[in-house]
Amino acid sequence: MMALSAAAPAVSAAFLASIVEVVEAFTIVLAVATLRGWRPAALGTTAGLGLLAAIVLLLGPLLDRVPMTALQLAIGIMLLLFGMGWLRKASLRAAGVIPLHDEDAIFAAEAAELTEQERRRQRNLGWAAGVTAFKAVLLEGLEVVFIVIAVGAGRGLLVPASLGALAACALVLAVGAIVHRPLSRVPENTLKFGVGVMLSAFGVFWTGEGLGIAWPGQDLALLLFAVLFLGAGLFASTLARKLAVGFA
Amino acid sequence: MIKIFKEVAAELVGMFVAEKRLTLAVLALIAVAGSLVDFAGVNPLVGGALLLFGCLILLIESVCRSGRAGAS
Repeated sequence: MMALSAAAPAVSAAFLASIVEVVEAFTIVLAVATLRGWRPAALGTTAGLGLLAAIVLLLGPLLDRVPMTALQLAIGIMLLLFGMGWLRKASLRAAGVIPLHDEDAIFAAEAAELTEQERRRQRNLGWAAGVTAFKAVLLEGLEVVFIVIAVGAGRGLLVPASLGALAACALVLAVGAIVHRPLSRVPENTLKFGVGVMLSAFGVFWTGEGLGIAWPGQDLALLLFAVLFLGAGLFASTLARKLAVGFA
Repeated sequence: MIKIFKEVAAELVGMFVAEKRLTLAVLALIAVAGSLVDFAGVNPLVGGALLLFGCLILLIESVCRSGRAGAS
């Protein structure tokens, strides 16, 4: 029986990261559906999900052939780069150095782009709208697939991590179906900050294991790493805010 | 279709290269920590501490540098 303490960090990281990505994809799909109808939006979304499923089905069996140490090192390095990138951006947004992600603004920008396409050419509007939805689902979905594989593969937790991501999809779609507007009240930067902390902690942990480092406390070391990255992110954000004010 | 593939490729690169300098510094840190543990015979926990605290310092440095650049 899998210990809850081992699966919980992977499941929660996959769940929270997927919420961020699915909200972003949902905003664009909703813009397509609102302006061009649900048919191209649904077709584009289905095609995007189909391609993502194909990528997972192709990559999944390959992962089993990679030695665990090499897999942990490769995934650890990628998680470290990915997680620190998220944490850096979230810290800068929290400091007010770069603007917060605005779902309403993204919805408006996508709507304007689709309207501009309509003005330029009257034909193939359904195709263009479908491609927009396809790209949104594919691009945001790739990040979800990476996160699920990254937090799940190193410990044989692919299924629980996938369930976490699917739960996030179901939650966003359910809320989206009810409110039927961009989910601008989701505290996206807070989520991104938290996920960046967790992914960076996983990254250090697995990179270290891949390098042959036996962390004291084993999985419990993840908690310490997460606390340190959280502290570093908050400290960096405070410093950046002061620096931005001081240099302005 | 080519445009979509280009965007997907750019997205994939962007996933791991949030900022070029930070990415290169993290990769260099991993290489140094790995070399110390594997080739120099340093205690693995020292290599681990270097990796962990190096990443924390690099993160703070990158955010502060962007903060200064963003304000100037």
